[in-house]
Amino acid sequence: MNELMPEHFMFLSAALFIIGMVGVLTRRNVLVIFMCVELMLTAVNISFIGFAWEFSQLTGQIFALFIIAIAAAEAVIGLGIIMALTRQRDTVDIDEVRELRQ
Amino acid sequence: MAAEVLVFNLLSGIAIVSAAAMIMMRNPVHSAIALVITFVNVAAVFIMLRAEFLAVVQIIVYTGAILVLILFVLMLVNPDELPDFHGARPMQQIFGFGLGIILLAEIAVAILTRTVVAEPGPWTEDGMAAVGGNVQAIGQVLYSGYVLPIQATALVLLAATIGALFLGRPDEDEEPTPSRRTVATISLAHTRGSDQDEIPALSSANIKHEAGDRDLIMARDADEFTSTPEDDQKGQQE
Repeated sequence: MNELMPEHFMFLSAALFIIGMVGVLTRRNVLVIFMCVELMLTAVNISFIGFAWEFSQLTGQIFALFIIAIAAAEAVIGLGIIMALTRQRDTVDIDEVRELRQ
Repeated sequence: MAAEVLVFNLLSGIAIVSAAAMIMMRNPVHSAIALVITFVNVAAVFIMLRAEFLAVVQIIVYTGAILVLILFVLMLVNPDELPDFHGARPMQQIFGFGLGIILLAEIAVAILTRTVVAEPGPWTEDGMAAVGGNVQAIGQVLYSGYVLPIQATALVLLAATIGALFLGRPDEDEEPTPSRRTVATISLAHTRGSDQDEIPALSSANIKHEAGDRDLIMARDADEFTSTPEDDQKGQQE
């Protein structure tokens, strides 16, 4: 492959998404899980922008822009929930939080 | 064109390695720093893919705002309460890594066997240069066809702000702990050197009315004004 192909950024996107997914599944710290979710959102952005570049469209870039805006809102809410959690339970271990299960 | 591929491989390699380091690090602060490296490299990839505006937004919003917010929250959390990654959860880790490898294989098959065919649009490098650049092109498309989604996004951001304020407010049932007062004397008038001829009568009833809940010490001469409850107790014990 002597030229930049869609496969390149598709593999980058897939790798970052899967690393984020493995992090969500294996880590127990709520904050690290949160960072992994941000990484997965970025991986999806790479896909969108890559296809926008491949087909000379701008729709993908605009979708990525909306994803970034929603990610900012999600970060604010998620960190607010984490703050409320640490104030109430004094822990960031996801296994300790089981009020919803019982 | 080979140089382009080389640069892309370098950037994506650093991004993937630091992303892997992020989920391996024991210390969450190190994880956040590894995530910063990943995001900066991803922004460089965005520039390679003709998305300069989004590269800048990526750095400002993700590494500038979200990660600094995460680091602030990390500082607020007690570090002794942080759980270990290398703790006693082998089943969870085997399951997670196995699922990741399976998904990677599936996606690799999908990427390598399928091709996407679509009509190329007008926004090639020349098309963007004709309107003045990437920012102008995004502005044209965004504000002509996506006005309603922008306003919905504004509403979402407003709701998120209000929600964060609601989540971050202090608990109502929790009484603020009263701070302990160190000095509890009340000086009404200095006996020596005072220009008043006579001091108003110091009866404990009318002073208590003004002092509220505070400890009350009736001072009879000027040296007693500096005494504290601890001194009084010491004096009583002796």
